[in-house]
Amino acid sequence: MNSLDHILIFKTNISTPRDITFVKDVLDKHELIDEWNVDQADVDCVLRVISRHLKPADIIDLLSECNYDCAELTD
Amino acid sequence: MRPRDENKIRAIKEKAIEMVANEGLDNFGINRLAKAAGVSPATIYIYYKDKDDLLTSISQEEGLKMTQTTLDGFDPTMSFREGLWIQWKNRSKYMLNNHIGTAFFEQLRSSAYKEKMVKTISAEFQKAMGSFMENAVKNGEVNKMPLEVYWSIAFSPLYSLIRFHNEGQSLGGKKFSFSQKLMKETFEYVMKALSK
Repeated sequence: MNSLDHILIFKTNISTPRDITFVKDVLDKHELIDEWNVDQADVDCVLRVISRHLKPADIIDLLSECNYDCAELTD
Repeated sequence: MRPRDENKIRAIKEKAIEMVANEGLDNFGINRLAKAAGVSPATIYIYYKDKDDLLTSISQEEGLKMTQTTLDGFDPTMSFREGLWIQWKNRSKYMLNNHIGTAFFEQLRSSAYKEKMVKTISAEFQKAMGSFMENAVKNGEVNKMPLEVYWSIAFSPLYSLIRFHNEGQSLGGKKFSFSQKLMKETFEYVMKALSK
């Protein structure tokens, strides 16, 4: 399977360093997330996740539980 | 399955270089780049982690391209005259044919991207330049001198000619256009200055 398929992209409101610290706790601990980062230089606070098993909806649920907005960006 | 789209990657790289060259680093953003390259922002994020990753990767790649052009046909065992002339020809070729690439590097000046790029290309330069200067000193072609002094004399005259050419004028607004003949004439003065 092509590894580009494992990259999931979202528009979020993870905008402050405090937000990052908060989601870091959740995302770092998640066993099915290989890698993640938030582009804080971007207006859409784009969250990029690499996961072989999770689907976009799983990430959206995860972030919603933490009270963050999260919408998939498609290419 | 999401295939790697080389055309989109090329468009992203080309437009990024163009945008930085024309507008600088401060105004650069993924959303604007996406619009200019005709792709969605998500496409850019598939290939690059973030803005930093994209600019780092593109500047390193462009730096290597410039290095390869500069070192084309060059061999550190060449005589000083021959080796320096090849570099003049290669550097002028790159700068005259890559206005955008040259302007891109100008914009990177004093940024963290420039530092990372220099780190990447200095190994290549080191490998190829190796003992060029050392040999020239050993063979009695030039005097031993600080690298900065050598650099200023060896290349600044060429860069001035190219700057005049790109601006279309030289001193006092006089029309100017670069030529191989002028380059050769300037090179001979440089050789005179550097030769023992």
